[in-house]
Amino acid sequence: MKKVLFTLALGVCGKAAVAQLDQLTKGHLSGSFESYTQYYRKDEKIDAIPPPDKIGSNNFFKLDYTYRQFTAGVQYEAYLPAIQGFPFNSTKQNRSEGKLVNRYFRYAGERLSIQIGDFYEQFGSGLVFRSWENRQIGINNALEGVSVQAEPVNFLKLKVVYGRPRKYFDYANALVRGADAEINMNELFTKKPSGNVNVTGGFSYVSRYQEYTGTADKFPATVDAWSGRMNIDKGNASLGVEYVHKASDPHTANVYSDEAGKAILINAAYTAGKFGANLTYRGMSNMDYRSEREATGTVLPVNYIPALTRQNDYLTTNIYVYNAQVAGEAGGQADVFVNLGSSKLSLNYSQYSALNKPGAILSPGKELYFRDGSLEWKKRWNAKWQSILAYHYVNYNKYIIEGGAHEMVQSHIGLANILYKYSPKKSARLELQHLYTKEDRGNWAAAVTEWTFAPMWSVYVSDLFNYGVTDTHYYNAGGSVMKNGTRFSLAYGRQRAGLFCVGGVCRYVPSASGVTATLTVTFNN
Amino acid sequence: MKKCVQLLLALMLVLGHAYGQESFPSVTVKNLQGKDVDFSKLIGQSGDTAVIVSFWATWCVPCVTELDNINDVYADWQRTKPLKLIAVSIDDARTSRRVKPFVAGKGWHFDVLLDENNNLKRAMNITDVPYVMIIKNNKVVYQHTGYVAGNEDELLEKIKNL
Repeated sequence: MKKVLFTLALGVCGKAAVAQLDQLTKGHLSGSFESYTQYYRKDEKIDAIPPPDKIGSNNFFKLDYTYRQFTAGVQYEAYLPAIQGFPFNSTKQNRSEGKLVNRYFRYAGERLSIQIGDFYEQFGSGLVFRSWENRQIGINNALEGVSVQAEPVNFLKLKVVYGRPRKYFDYANALVRGADAEINMNELFTKKPSGNVNVTGGFSYVSRYQEYTGTADKFPATVDAWSGRMNIDKGNASLGVEYVHKASDPHTANVYSDEAGKAILINAAYTAGKFGANLTYRGMSNMDYRSEREATGTVLPVNYIPALTRQNDYLTTNIYVYNAQVAGEAGGQADVFVNLGSSKLSLNYSQYSALNKPGAILSPGKELYFRDGSLEWKKRWNAKWQSILAYHYVNYNKYIIEGGAHEMVQSHIGLANILYKYSPKKSARLELQHLYTKEDRGNWAAAVTEWTFAPMWSVYVSDLFNYGVTDTHYYNAGGSVMKNGTRFSLAYGRQRAGLFCVGGVCRYVPSASGVTATLTVTFNN
Repeated sequence: MKKCVQLLLALMLVLGHAYGQESFPSVTVKNLQGKDVDFSKLIGQSGDTAVIVSFWATWCVPCVTELDNINDVYADWQRTKPLKLIAVSIDDARTSRRVKPFVAGKGWHFDVLLDENNNLKRAMNITDVPYVMIIKNNKVVYQHTGYVAGNEDELLEKIKNL
């Protein structure tokens, strides 16, 4: 009898399991694989010294499955070993290791969503809190814990986070917890919210806890920060203000300063027909906020403070790139975009300098940190020809931004990017660039030519030439093939040492020479 | 652990049945007026219309070239087949404020959404931009990474053949 019952139960379970599988195939499965592998060779001309086994390989595998309101996912990473310059702990450098680093389960309902496991979140613009991932830079400060989002009434959105930040393959010896409330004033104060004005206010509170066992009483175990923000959007004009206050928090990265931190971010935007403009001001003092007080470099940030400058995509415009000075800076940025039909103009000006005195976040001082003024003109001549011409004037305070005994760099950059589509599926592109400066390493010239054959192939050859002082060619040649969600690329050449920045966060990359292979695969069913 | 997984699966099935039909993850992005938009609902409402979802950023030259080129023929495309383009900007807090004036200065005629902390990009497992997907009736019917001149013609061909 028992056996019969057991068999019956098994049969029912089995049937249910098949039915379940059938149901589950109706969900959404998404995944990706990314592999970045470098083979290094010794190259004395650029001081490139290969690691002991000459290979670096960063690999990421991610899988997410959604069925109705439920999503679950994992992320596996393997460093075989990590590529050169990757900000791993010194003990992990040159060691091959792989680990399942992220796993989560999420329920997303109409007014409530809960995520358990590793999660990413951002409050406001991230000035007080942001957990995010950037694989190129090597940042992943996902929190492992619980994240809750709720909308109890139409005018209120609440977020609560609680967890320990990820630190490469381990977790920080710290806890981060926070709450954010966003109130929609339209919904709150008007019966029928009108479509064209949107007013929101927000308040965030973030706190990090790290045990302190030492004897000095200036190191608090808990460091609190809070922020308030307001955004007004009226169709073609908008204004946003965000203010952050951070409690006294002496740690390694801020050289044990016990001053409170504060920051203000003001943004105004205006669009009219074929014209758009944006104006930003940001001042901050002592805003380095980390979950562990011993962390430095790009390790374990709690908040996100990008350089608010134009983000460039050319060889010569990426030589002097600003890195926001979290200890203290004030400045701003202006953008103007104009649509003249077949011509598009884009103007940008940004300038940042020291504070007049610590804490005076509304008072930029005389010492200039960075300035970039640029004009870009994109023109479509006909169905075959397109061109981009740009000019930049850049001041770069190398002493402040990179450290060491350096002077202010003053440079002019001119570039042309010409695209010729000579048949419906074939195109050729030529970039010519020049950076002029009397300081630092002197002038740079660059040329890139790329040939593409739609839908799959592209090949390129480029050279960045530092002439006059070092007379060094940073040559590269490579190609890529792409099909659907898969892209494979192979390149051979030299990589310039310097600050490598993505999204305004920078790490130092040493000179390298050799072969780079990249494979990315994405699938969504 | 195994029991936990079984329990979760069972829970997903039982609770999942009672609610909506969207098959994409419910991820919130913002429109250019700063209002929240649920991606799965947005796609769910599109039904028969083919939706081209293009992930891009203001600092990505090939992305902008692709969208400029599509914009030039967008009106013609819409006369050929029922379709719409949604350009999802993955610009983060560094550059996301520039998106709205940037779009005005480009004269783009399609919808633009902001995915500031890359939640949607992560949910769809996109590693690099540009990345284009065509979604119809809640299914991803085509996807393509990268851009070379001429790829836009392929998009229209795919939609014509759906």
